[in-house]
Amino acid sequence: MTPSPPPRGRGKGEAAVRVVLLLAACLAALIGCSKGSDTKGPLTIVLKHAKILGPVDPIPALLAEFESAHPGIRVKAEVLPWTSDEQRQFLVINLEGGQPGFDLMMLDCIWVPEFARAGWILDLTAGVTQDELAAHFPSAAQAGTYRGRTWALPWFMNVGLLYYRSDLLGRYGFKPPETYVAMLEQIRVIRAGEKSRKLEGYLWQGKQYEGLVVNVLEGLWADGTTLVGEDGRIFPDPERAEQVLRFMRMLIDTGASPGWVTAGDEEVTRRAFGNGEAIFLRSWPYAVDMFEKPGSPVRGKVGLAPLPSHEAGRRAPGSTGGAHLAITRHTRHPAEALELARFLTSAPAQRAMTASGATKPTRMALYHDAELVRASPNLPRIHDLTLAGRSRPVTPYYVMISTTLQPELSAALVKVKTPARSVADARRRLDFFLRDLQE
Amino acid sequence: MSRGGPAATVIRSQRRASVQGLLLVTPALFALGALTLYPTLWVGWLSLQRRIPIFGVERFEGLGNFFFLATDPRFWKAAQVTLVFTAASVALELVGGVLVALALRGQRAGARVGLSFLLLAWALPSVVTAKLFEWLYNPAAGLVNFLLGGIALNWLGDPRLALPGLILADVWRTLPFVTVLCYARLLAIPVELYEAAQMDGAGAVATFTRITLPLLRRILLIAVLFRTLDALRSFDLMFVLTGGGPAGTTETLTVYAYRSLFQAVQLGLGSAVGVVVFALVMLVAWGYLRALRHEGLAA
Repeated sequence: MTPSPPPRGRGKGEAAVRVVLLLAACLAALIGCSKGSDTKGPLTIVLKHAKILGPVDPIPALLAEFESAHPGIRVKAEVLPWTSDEQRQFLVINLEGGQPGFDLMMLDCIWVPEFARAGWILDLTAGVTQDELAAHFPSAAQAGTYRGRTWALPWFMNVGLLYYRSDLLGRYGFKPPETYVAMLEQIRVIRAGEKSRKLEGYLWQGKQYEGLVVNVLEGLWADGTTLVGEDGRIFPDPERAEQVLRFMRMLIDTGASPGWVTAGDEEVTRRAFGNGEAIFLRSWPYAVDMFEKPGSPVRGKVGLAPLPSHEAGRRAPGSTGGAHLAITRHTRHPAEALELARFLTSAPAQRAMTASGATKPTRMALYHDAELVRASPNLPRIHDLTLAGRSRPVTPYYVMISTTLQPELSAALVKVKTPARSVADARRRLDFFLRDLQE
Repeated sequence: MSRGGPAATVIRSQRRASVQGLLLVTPALFALGALTLYPTLWVGWLSLQRRIPIFGVERFEGLGNFFFLATDPRFWKAAQVTLVFTAASVALELVGGVLVALALRGQRAGARVGLSFLLLAWALPSVVTAKLFEWLYNPAAGLVNFLLGGIALNWLGDPRLALPGLILADVWRTLPFVTVLCYARLLAIPVELYEAAQMDGAGAVATFTRITLPLLRRILLIAVLFRTLDALRSFDLMFVLTGGGPAGTTETLTVYAYRSLFQAVQLGLGSAVGVVVFALVMLVAWGYLRALRHEGLAA
C-alpha cells in the first residue's frame, strides 16, 4: 500500500534541478510574452458571431477583405453556439465574468438594451452619427438604441409575415386575407374544395419558447393593443389580451390550425408548409428561400403578405427581429472594433451576406438592388413588410418578461389555464420580479 | 537516522509515508475543492441574495428567495415534474433493464450484437437522442403515430402526453445502462445454482424470484442510485424537445434554474433553485448509501 520512497541523494538533486529548469522556462515564456505585446505587431480583434446560414458562409471572405484593407489589424472570428439560448448563455457568463475573450459580438436585437443597461457593451453614440443609422430600417436602428444612445449597429433583419399558397388561393379566386375572419373563411372553402384531409389551414409557432411570445405579440398588435404599456405594466389591457389568447385557442379548437402547433417552432412549421401540407404559415423571410429551392413541392406556389388583422382597415404589423453588432465595454481596441463593425454592417458587406447567405439586410436600399432582386424577386415585398413591422418592446426587461410569459401563454393555449387566469398570473409574477427594478 | 530504535524508524517511515500520501493527494484535493466545493459554496452564497447584475441589483436577502419559492407555483410544478419524471423513468428502466438482460442471457447467438446496439443508444449524446425523438414524435410524419395506427397524437404539444413522451425517450436512452450492469451480474451467477433449482423442481417464476432477483439485488441498488441521481438533474432532453412546455408540464427544477440563471439572469433566485436540487440529490444519495451500507456494499 505505501508507495516506495524515491531513491535518495541523486534523485533529490535531479528533481531540484528539474524544478529550477521548469521555473526558468516559465519565466522565459513570461518574458517572451510581455516582449511580444510590446512590439508593434498587428493587433487582433476577436469577433463572436453565430454561423450565418445559407449556401455559402460569407464571413471568411469578408474578414479577409477587411484584413487586407487594414494591414495592422487581424480578425479572429469565433462561432457562437447553435441556438439563441446557448448564445445568450455564453455571452452572459463571459461578460458578467468581466474578462470576455472577445471585442465584437453579435447580439439578438432583443438583448441590446439589456446588455447596455448591464454595462457590458460600449456606448457608440460619439462614434456613430444619426445619418449613418438613417440608411437602416427605423425599427432596426431603434433596437440598437437605449436611453437615447446608440449601443449597437444593425447587421441583419427579420420580420414576421404571412406565407400563403398562391396556387390554392388563386384556384378559388381569393386574395391574401386582410383579416382573420377572411382567412378562416378561405381555409374553410379551400379545404372543402380540395377534399384533402391532410391539408391544414394556418400554421404558427405555439411551442413554449420565444417564438410563442412573438406570435402572441403580433396577435396583440393585430387587435390594437400591446404587451408593455406606457407605464411599464404588462398587458395594459388585460381583457384584450385574454381575447387574443382565446382567439388563438379557437384556431386550434375549430381545426383551422392543427393541434400540434402547440409544439411547433419555426422549423417544424416551415417543413410542414414546405411539404405542401398547409395553406397559410406565419414565419420569417428565411423560409422563402427554402420554399423556392429546386425540387421543393411548393416552388412557385408561395406568396408573401402582411399578417392578418382582427379588424378590417387596421394594419397588423409583423414583429421585427434580427441581429446587431456590439463592442465589449472593456475592449482594448475600441476604435478598431468599431471599424470592423462598421465594415460588416456596410452596404457592400450586407449585400454579400444577402447574396450568399440566408440573411436579409438592415439597409433599406439593398432591397431594391438590381442584382439582389434578380436572385430573390421577393426582396421588394419583404422591404415593405419590414418597413411596416414593429420591434418587440425595446426594454432591458424584455427577456425576463418573455421567459416569465412563455409558460403562462402556453398554458392558455393548451387549456391548462383559462386565458384570464394566465394573463393574471403573468402579471402577478412580473410585478414581483420587476418590483424594484423599473426606473 | 542514528538515534532511535527500530520502532522509531518504523513510526518515522510511516509518518513519512503518510506525508507523502497527503502530498500526492493534494493536487486532486485542490482540483476537487476548486471545481466542486468552491462553486457549491458560491451558489449557496448567491442563493441568499437578490442579485440581478443587469440592473445592478446586489443585496443580501437572507432566505427571501426560498420564501418566494415556497409560494411559487412554477417552482412546485417543476418539483412535481422532476419527481414524477424520476420515479417513472427509473422504475421503467429498472424493470425493462432486468427483462432485457434476462433476454440477452437467453440468447445463444446475437447477444453480443444486441448488446452493441443497446450501447449505441446509451452512447448517443442526449441532444442527438432528443432530436431523434423530435422526429419520432412528429404528429404528422412521425414513426410513433404511424405505428399506433396513424392517429394524430400531439406528443410534445399536449400537456398530458409531453411528460410521458419524455419519460419514454429517457427510458430508451438509459435502459441499456441498467441492462449492461444486470447482464454482467447474470453472467457471474454460477450455472450450478440453476441446475440445483431445476433438480428441486423450481419453476421459472420461483427460479427468478428466489435465485436471480436476490443475486441481482445489490447491482440493482447501485443502478438505481446512479439513475435516480441522474434523473433528478435531468435537463437536456426537455430543454431540446419541449423547452419545458407545454404549459410548463415538462419543466424540471434544473430547467427552471437554467431559465432563471441564464435567461432572466436572476442569479439569486436561480441559485436558490440550484441549492434545492443539490439538497434533494444529497438527500437521495445519503438515503441510498445508507441502504447500501446495510447491504454491506459501501464502506
